Amino acid sequence: MAELLLKNVTMKFGGLLAVDSLDLEVPSGKILSLIGPNGAGKTTVFNLITGVYKPTEGTITYNGETLNGLHSNKVVSRGIARTFQNIRLFNSMTVLENVQVGLHCRTKSGAIRALLNTPFLVQEEKEIAEKAMAVLEFLGLEEFRNDYASNLAYGNQRRLEIARAMATEPGTLLLDEPAAGMNPKETADLMELILKIRDTGLDIFLVEHDMRLVMGISDMITVLDYGQKIAEGTPKEIQNNETVIEAYLGSGGKK
Amino acid sequence: MKKIGIFVLCIAVIACFSGIATAKTLKIGTMSPLTGPYAQDGTYILQGVKTAVKAFEASGGLPGYDKIEILAEDSACDGGKATMAANKLINSDVSAIIGCYCSSATLPSSIPVDEAGIVMLTPASTNEKITERGFKKFFRLPPRDDVQGWSAVKFMENSLKAKTVALIDDRQTYTVGLVDNIKRFAKETGKLEFVAHEHITPGDKDFTAILTSLKRLNPDVIYMSIYQPEGSLMARQVKQLEITSTLVTEDACFQPKFTEVGGAATEGIYLTFAAPVADNPVRSDFVKAYSKDWGVGENEIGSFSFFAYDAAMLVLEGVKKAGVEKLAETIRASKSLGATGEITFDEKGDRALAHAVWIVKDGAFVPYYNPLTDTMY
Amino acid sequence: MDTSSFLIQQLINAIFLGSIFSLIALGYTMVYGIIQLINFAHGEMFTAGAFAGLIVLAGLQKVGFVDSHFIISMVLVFGLGMAYVAVLGVSIEQVAYKPLRNASRLAAILSALGMSIFLSNGMMLSQGVSDRGFPNALGWEGLKIMDAKISYGQVFIIILAFALMYGLWIFVTSTKLGKAMRATAQNKPMARMLGINVDKTIRVTFMIGPGLGAAAGIMVGMYYGSVRFDMGFIYMIKAFAAAILGGIGSIPGAMLGGMIIGFVEVGWSAFLPSEWKDVTTFVVMILVLYLKPSGLLGQSATEEKV
Ligand SMILES: Nc1ncnc2c1ncn2[C@@H]1O[C@H](COP(=O)(O)OP(=O)(O)OP(=O)(O)O)[C@@H](O)[C@H]1O
Ligand SMILES: [Mg+2]
Repeated sequence: MAELLLKNVTMKFGGLLAVDSLDLEVPSGKILSLIGPNGAGKTTVFNLITGVYKPTEGTITYNGETLNGLHSNKVVSRGIARTFQNIRLFNSMTVLENVQVGLHCRTKSGAIRALLNTPFLVQEEKEIAEKAMAVLEFLGLEEFRNDYASNLAYGNQRRLEIARAMATEPGTLLLDEPAAGMNPKETADLMELILKIRDTGLDIFLVEHDMRLVMGISDMITVLDYGQKIAEGTPKEIQNNETVIEAYLGSGGKK
Repeated sequence: MKKIGIFVLCIAVIACFSGIATAKTLKIGTMSPLTGPYAQDGTYILQGVKTAVKAFEASGGLPGYDKIEILAEDSACDGGKATMAANKLINSDVSAIIGCYCSSATLPSSIPVDEAGIVMLTPASTNEKITERGFKKFFRLPPRDDVQGWSAVKFMENSLKAKTVALIDDRQTYTVGLVDNIKRFAKETGKLEFVAHEHITPGDKDFTAILTSLKRLNPDVIYMSIYQPEGSLMARQVKQLEITSTLVTEDACFQPKFTEVGGAATEGIYLTFAAPVADNPVRSDFVKAYSKDWGVGENEIGSFSFFAYDAAMLVLEGVKKAGVEKLAETIRASKSLGATGEITFDEKGDRALAHAVWIVKDGAFVPYYNPLTDTMY
Repeated sequence: MDTSSFLIQQLINAIFLGSIFSLIALGYTMVYGIIQLINFAHGEMFTAGAFAGLIVLAGLQKVGFVDSHFIISMVLVFGLGMAYVAVLGVSIEQVAYKPLRNASRLAAILSALGMSIFLSNGMMLSQGVSDRGFPNALGWEGLKIMDAKISYGQVFIIILAFALMYGLWIFVTSTKLGKAMRATAQNKPMARMLGINVDKTIRVTFMIGPGLGAAAGIMVGMYYGSVRFDMGFIYMIKAFAAAILGGIGSIPGAMLGGMIIGFVEVGWSAFLPSEWKDVTTFVVMILVLYLKPSGLLGQSATEEKV
C-alpha cells in the first residue's frame, strides 16, 4: 500500500497552472523520482505535500489521513520530512545543533515542563544529543559535529540537510535536487547514501535533474511537464519514452 | 401642525442661545504640568485653584456672574507647550491666567498673555528674570530666586560654616538661574569655594558616577539645584554611597513627595523655602478645605497649592471688587491676607517675601535658620 | 577617597548600571531576532514590571512578610512581576503584532508605537502621574572595599541580573525550546519544516523578552526607590542603543552592548565634564556602527538573527 498519495491535485498561482490534476503515489520502501524541465512544477508538488501551499483542488493523504491544509510543522510530525533545492541550514548553529533541532519534534516535553523540570530536561537533552550523534554517524558527519554549519564543504552541507531531515524520524523523505552543485565523486557518494537510507525502510521521493543519479537509483519515475504528468514507469521505460525525450530536448536537453 | 411645531422649536432654540448670551461666565485659565515628571506639582497647583473657586462660590460667589469656569491647560515644563497653552487660553477669552510651574515655561508663555492684556499670576516660578521685563499685569506669589540664592549662601557661610561647595543643576532655566545667583552672592563675600559644578539630565535615575566623583572631592556642601523627582533619588544615592557632605537644596524639592520617595535618606537635608507663615484664619480654612476636597492629610498639601490658592483668590476678589477691566490695578493696589501670609506687590509684581532654611525632621519640613537675622528658629 | 577606591566605586557603578541596560536590551534583541520588529512597547513592559513588583512588594510589606521571609518575598516579587509582564507581552504579540506578521514593516512599527502610547497612557491613568515611592526592602547596609561601598541590595541585584542572563544563555544554547527559537529566528519556513511550532516559539520569545525587561524594571524601582509611568522612556532609549551597538538580534551582543553603555555613561561622568554625558552614549553607538555596521557581535544583516 502506498503511504503518500496525491489524487487529482491542482495548484494555481493566479492564472498560472503550476500543477494540473496530478495523481501520484509514493510506493512503500521504494525510491520514486519526479523529473521534468525547469519550471515543470516539481518543487510546487513538494510544497503542496509539506503544507507550504494549500492545493487549489484535489487531496493529499498520508497513511489514509488527509494532509490538505495542515501546517508544515504538523506534516512533519505525521512523518514527512524534506530538504530544499537551495540549502537552508541554520548557519550560526553547529552541525550537531542543526540535527538536534530536527529531533525536537519527536521529544515530549512542552515549554512549561521544559522550563520547570530541570532533571527531566537534562535527561531529555542527553537523549537528544545521543540520537543526534547517531544520525550524524549514519551520514558520516560526526567529525564535523562542533563546526558551524556555514563552515562545511558544499557536499557536506547537502548531507547535513539530509541528516537534519532524517532527525525528524520520517517515514517518507522528500529530497529536492540533493545533487545540485555536487561534483561527480560527491554525487556517487550521495547515490550510495540514498540507497542506504531506503534500505532502512524509508520511502524516498526524489526530485533531481542529474539523470545518471535518477536512472541509477530510482525504482519508479514520474515525468512532469507544465504541471501535467506526461509519463510514468521504470527508469528503462522512461528512457525510451518518446514524449519524455521530446519534452526534454524541447526545453534544452539533459541536464 | 407641522409648521407650528417648527415654530415652537425655533423659539426654543433662540431662547437657548439668548440664555447663554445673558448668563455670564468668568473664565480663569490655569497652566501647569499635568503630564511628565512634574505632573505632581502641576496637579497641586490646579487643585489649589479649584479649591479656591469652590470656597469662593460657597461664600456668596461673584455678583453679575452665574458661573466660574476653570480652563486647565497642560504646560508640561516646556516653553513651547506653555506658549501654545497660553494662546489657547487667550483665544478662549479667559479673564486671568494662573501659571506656570517651571520658570522655563512661564518666561516665554507670559509674553503673549502680556500682549493680550490679560492678568497672569505665577504660583511657583521663581526665576527673577520673569518680573524684570516690565510687564504691567504680571504677578508672582512666591519669593524670587535671588532671594533664595542669597539665603542659601548666607546659610552655607554663616550657619554651616562651609568652605567648599559642589553644585549640581539639571540645565533648566530655574535650576541654572538659581545656581548663578548662588555663585553671584558667594562672590561678594568670597567665603565659599566651588569645587565642582555638575549637570544631570531630568528623567535620569542614576547619579552614582557624578556622586562618586564628588565623594572624592569631599566638599562641605553638595548643593542640589534640581527638581523633586531627581532630588529624592539623589538623596538616596548620597546615603547609599555614604557621602558625608551636607546636602542643601531648594523650593522645588519642598513638597511631600520629596520625603515620601526619598525616605530616610532625606532626613537632615536643608532646603530654602518661603519663611514660615504665622497661622491665620485664611490659611487654616484653606488647609481644611483642601484636605477635604482632595482627600489628603493636612500635612500632605503641596507647597505650591498654597500660592495657587492665593493667586486664584486675588483674581476672584479683584473681579468682585472692580470688574475684569481693572483687575490688574485692583490686585496691585490690594493689601490682603492669604494662605501664604500678607500679600502686597511692588511695581514689578513681586511680593516682599523672605526665605528661610528648613530641615527635614522625621519626614516633615521644619523651620531651621533665618538668614535675615542669622538666627536659628 | 583615594584613587583606587574611586576607581573601584566607579567600576561598581558601571557594572550595576550596565547589567540593567543589558537585561532590557535583551528583550529588544530577542524580539527583533525572531520577528524583525523593534518592539517600541518594550519600555512600557519594563515600567509595567516595576509597578507589578511595587504592588506585590507593598502588599507583602504591609503584612510584615518581607522582614520575616526576605528570600521568599523576593521570589514572589520578581516571579509575579515577571509572570504578569510575560502574559502582557504575549497578549500584545497576539493583538498588535501577529495580525501584521505578513504586512509591511511600517505597519508593524506603527502598531508597536501605538501599543507603547496605549500602555503608557494606561499606566498613567491607573497608577497616577507622579512618582510612587518604592518600599525600601534592600536597606542601606553594604560591603566596603576600601573606601568604596556596594550595598547588599546592589549585590543582590547584580547577582540576580547575571543569573538571569546566564539562565537565558543556557536556555537558548542547550534546551529544545531555545534551539527552536534560534532556528525560528534564522529561517522560519525551514523551522516549520522541521516540526517547530513557529507561533508558539514566537509566543515564548514574547514571554521571555518582556519578562527580563520586567525584572530590570523591578530592580530599578527597588534600588532607586521610585517608579513613574513614563520612567521606561529613558531606559528604552539607552537599552535600544545597547542592542544596536551589540548587534541587534544577537543575545551576547545585547549583554555586551548594555555593559558598554553602562561603562561609557559612568566613565564619562567620572572623568570628563558631565555636560555631554547623554550625547556620548549615542556618539559611541554611531562610531561602532560606522566601523561595523552590523554591531559588535551582529553578523551580516541577513544571516544571523539570534
Ligand atoms: N509562489 C509562487 N507564486 C507564483 N508562481 C509560482 C510560485 N511558486 C512557483 N511558481 C511557478 O510555478 C511554476 C512551477 O515552479 P516550480 O518551482 O515548482 O518548478 P520546478 O519544477 O521545481 O523547477 P526547477 O527545476 O527549476 O526547480 C513556475 O512557473 C514558477 O514560476
Ligand atoms: Mg524546483
